[in-house]
Amino acid sequence: MILLSAVIAGTVTGWGYARWKGRTWHPPIFRSVWLVFLGFLPQLAAIYMPLTRRMLSDEFASTGLIVSQLFLLAFTLINFKIPGMALLSLGLGLNLAVIMLNGGFMPLPLETAEKFVDSRTLGGLEVGERIDSSSKDILLPESEIILPWLADRFVSPNWLSYRFAFSTGDVFVAAGAFWMLSGLQPAHSGEK
Amino acid sequence: MKNTLNQFVLSFSRINKTHLQFALMLIALVMLVLGAGAPEDVGGSGR
Repeated sequence: MILLSAVIAGTVTGWGYARWKGRTWHPPIFRSVWLVFLGFLPQLAAIYMPLTRRMLSDEFASTGLIVSQLFLLAFTLINFKIPGMALLSLGLGLNLAVIMLNGGFMPLPLETAEKFVDSRTLGGLEVGERIDSSSKDILLPESEIILPWLADRFVSPNWLSYRFAFSTGDVFVAAGAFWMLSGLQPAHSGEK
Repeated sequence: MKNTLNQFVLSFSRINKTHLQFALMLIALVMLVLGAGAPEDVGGSGR
């Protein structure tokens, strides 16, 4: 949800900015967009679709997550010249690296989880276990995480009622999506 | 009359193409962002 808010904010900003300047808003034009649709399929089945994710094993989910992100990375590299795509690509690369180095899921440090997960839910989880079938995260003590500074170690501020943990890569992904849509770059620079 | 109709069809098809292009771009970007990111919100409303 937090990543979608970057897309919404970028769209509103881009559309509003273009309107304020009295010109037409030009959203980015992607090449090889089929890579996104194909690449997202494994995650759709293994993480996002309640009906299918319960039927699939964690091994399938982790392999699917890595394959999916490799496809998405290829797409970002093909469209690298679009403003914002370099940031998004960097974020995806960082997330993929830490996922691959930590058993195929995004590590969530135990110390971070204690800050935002309620104690009853946390008590029902074991170290090294996936948070749930809709999650890309596994619970690990920070000392056991490879590249811990790339893990989901940041927590949303206390004054937000919606609590979540996010990684350095997530920040770049959100910033890239916002930059791409906001149109705050020179006109036509993202077009073919 | 025929000219007006032609213009209407032309502008309608342009709008449709633009809208479709925008929708496709937005869907692709949403998929890309959801697929690329890995935030965790299991805590819901927090402790």
